[in-house]
Amino acid sequence: MITEEELDNLIICKKCHTLHKKVPISHNKKAFCSKCDILLYQNCPNTIDKTLALVITAAISLFVAFKFTIVTIDIQGLEKSLTLYALFMVILEQHQYIVGIMFIFLIVIFPITIIFSMLLLLILMKLKKGAYMVQRLLILLAHIRPWSMVDIFFISLLVAMVKLFDYAYIELGVSFVALVFTLILDIIITKNISFYELWELHTKIYGWHE
Amino acid sequence: MNNSKFEYIRCHICEAVNYVDNKETKCRRCHEKIEHNLKFSYHKTLAFLITAIIFYFPANLYPILISKQFGKTTTNTIMEGIIHLWDSGSYPIALIILLASVFVPLLKFVLIIYLLISTKYNIHSSKLDKHKLFYITEAIGPWSMVDVFVVIILSVLIHFSEVKIYPGKGATAFGLMVFFTMISALSFDPRLINHQKGDTSNAKP
Repeated sequence: MITEEELDNLIICKKCHTLHKKVPISHNKKAFCSKCDILLYQNCPNTIDKTLALVITAAISLFVAFKFTIVTIDIQGLEKSLTLYALFMVILEQHQYIVGIMFIFLIVIFPITIIFSMLLLLILMKLKKGAYMVQRLLILLAHIRPWSMVDIFFISLLVAMVKLFDYAYIELGVSFVALVFTLILDIIITKNISFYELWELHTKIYGWHE
Repeated sequence: MNNSKFEYIRCHICEAVNYVDNKETKCRRCHEKIEHNLKFSYHKTLAFLITAIIFYFPANLYPILISKQFGKTTTNTIMEGIIHLWDSGSYPIALIILLASVFVPLLKFVLIIYLLISTKYNIHSSKLDKHKLFYITEAIGPWSMVDVFVVIILSVLIHFSEVKIYPGKGATAFGLMVFFTMISALSFDPRLINHQKGDTSNAKP
């Protein structure tokens, strides 16, 4: 049988599932997969503080993105704005429940859940409290992470704007900027801390427990 | 290592390396269940894939977008929308939609079918490549949602008393199709690839 410590020093690449033995690396260095060159792990000091700062900013910009108008169009004096409220109203009015509920979950509920559970778990990790809570949050995150589609929503928004470009005067709202900001922050956060590292930090802070 | 009944498994939740035998086990770090019966994963993937393929037809045949202009109703399926965009000169957008809503779902179907068949019948090819293919399948999954989102955004913006846009039946079918292809890819267990006989590329480092 193989011991737990030996298992801790192994890592399987998420892309090609090659088994690697972890080697200690110096500060700010990264380890890549030998077969497919994907990032395996990195050694960054105070990742929690950095990520926490980014997540707080992301939470604020996400709030702004959903609170205010994203774009306003103007067709010969008739104005219409894209907001979350308008979205709810249109879905209710047109009885598009399946598409509507999917949309609201993928664009609103899941991203908010992800950002706020990240926020909560990072704060708990910083305080070194609530081991079980952090674990449940991490498991929750693993389940809903593939279902957050803010980036795809943004591309769709651009496509929709191009489609309307010929007919309407388009004015970008505050939320559009906030949306871009959220996306950039999301990229930085995923670059800064991987899920694997969150779990590693979890075991480092709380230890193994039943 | 491969012919023994012990193997290294990457937990799908917390990515910890587990060393497990054929008995039902829990991950040593997050205590989530690690499915020991791979047949279950195989059939789940197949079932969701078939559902997705069934939804693919209404998604393409029914109109995804219904527009009402001064009492006159026009409908657009996905292909009609793309052709209309192409004719009006927005080639990049037409290409994005074509890629995202026609090719990506088809590519996903083909990739998942290939992975299922090749793991079932032990087709000799590199496991490394199959793992990479699976990674691609997971990564491109949500991008087919673009068209549905565009229709919803348009239906919110173009919502005047005389001119209105609605999502059609096709949009619902399309959304469900993407949903089922994503579940199908998520329920595929990469261990199915490892359990293939023959090739032993998953050697110890």
